[in-house]
Amino acid sequence: MLLTRKLTLTLGALALSAASGVFAAAAHAETLRVGMSGGYFPFTFVEQDELKGFEVDVMNAVGEITGDEIEFVTASFSGLAGMLESGRIDTIANQITMTPEREAKYAFTEPYVYDGAQVVVREGNDSIEGVEDLSGKSVAVNLGSNYEQLLREQPNADEIDIRTYESNIEQDVALGRVDAFVMDRVSATQVIKEKGLPLELAGQPFSTIENAMPFRDDEAGRAQRDRVGDALDELRESGELREISEKWFDTDITQL
Amino acid sequence: MLNLEYMWGLLPVLLRYLPLTLQMATIAMLFALVLACLLAVVRVSRVPGLNGLALLFISFFRGTPLLVQLFLFYYGLPQLIDSLISITGVTAAVLGLTLHFSAYMAESIRAAIVGIDRSQTEAALSIGMTQSQLMRRIILPQATRVATPTLMNYFIDMIKATSLAFTLGVTELMGATQKEAAGSFLYLEAFLLVAIIYWVIVEMLSWGQRRLETYLNRAYQR
Repeated sequence: MLLTRKLTLTLGALALSAASGVFAAAAHAETLRVGMSGGYFPFTFVEQDELKGFEVDVMNAVGEITGDEIEFVTASFSGLAGMLESGRIDTIANQITMTPEREAKYAFTEPYVYDGAQVVVREGNDSIEGVEDLSGKSVAVNLGSNYEQLLREQPNADEIDIRTYESNIEQDVALGRVDAFVMDRVSATQVIKEKGLPLELAGQPFSTIENAMPFRDDEAGRAQRDRVGDALDELRESGELREISEKWFDTDITQL
Repeated sequence: MLNLEYMWGLLPVLLRYLPLTLQMATIAMLFALVLACLLAVVRVSRVPGLNGLALLFISFFRGTPLLVQLFLFYYGLPQLIDSLISITGVTAAVLGLTLHFSAYMAESIRAAIVGIDRSQTEAALSIGMTQSQLMRRIILPQATRVATPTLMNYFIDMIKATSLAFTLGVTELMGATQKEAAGSFLYLEAFLLVAIIYWVIVEMLSWGQRRLETYLNRAYQR
């Protein structure tokens, strides 16, 4: 038993030293580590190896006010909450929707984006014109997102075939593999406008969404939350937040 | 139909992430080989006490998905043991790949060892070879030849399994592709390109494997 444990430990130590030599990860006190998926156009995405998007611009603007160095950490969306909880990132800038469960667990800033949950279908699909038409249909949502829960709260929830995806939900609806997907209205509009996928919005948004940044609910986390929250207030008052929004969306999504 | 210009422009971007993918797989493969050999020897010689542990180890790491193991190491354990927070995503991925694949590889190494006819052991011992001479001169050269194809299989599988590291925040080849595809919405182009990259790498390895097998087969050639 001892031998095996020792072996495992040595192995781990070896791997650690080998890996850290090659890929040293710096961690400074004044560095704010911001997690995002890098796969959520136009909030966070990559073009030619460059991380871009609304969230990136907002956090960089926050960093200029607070003086923090902003370090972006990209990971699969389903890994982000674990990274926040295990202390590997300080917050998530990925349109995190405030829910009672999440508010009980994390320290949130004030909302910086207001939005609605939107059903999106393949172009020409007239059989779905809102969430009430989803009975008997297959609907894709992103794994770990709160749209699954929003759908489950609908009166016809039992009849909806909800499918959770790691990524590429737009693509599968465009291909006709599932009947619809649910995403926030703002990015759904953007996807259809910019990317030429054969998709269309089905009816009106069915729920108001407030998006904010979660921090760990401890002393250090709340201090960071206050610092970032104050910076967001300042950006809102100066009009810079609106400008960033208009740059990406042609509209102000930061107001109700 | 295919946006070839986009694919051509994306190629150098994705290739930047190839070294990390190969480094993770190679380091994990080396550790896994060592661990798998130890496990196999323990199993073959039925070392009292250790044998049961080896069985438990193999049972767990073969019996649970790699993704679950990665999440356990990276997100789960630090909640119990604070100091584990210092483990980077790359380390956790290498550790997960090592433990996971060593369990499989131990079994194929064990199979290669026990597959060698017992009469050879008896013959070797009868002419006065020690246990270590027997292993070094008789068993291992033959077992290596038998185990090589399956071990290469696991290495190929491991290269592809590094794509799970993106769930730990490590942007490797697959993570980079996913993010680029999200920016361009050219899924077919991006994923086709990354498929070709993986394929070419694996083909190059297969070529190396054929050369290695020829070398190990030299005693059997007529």
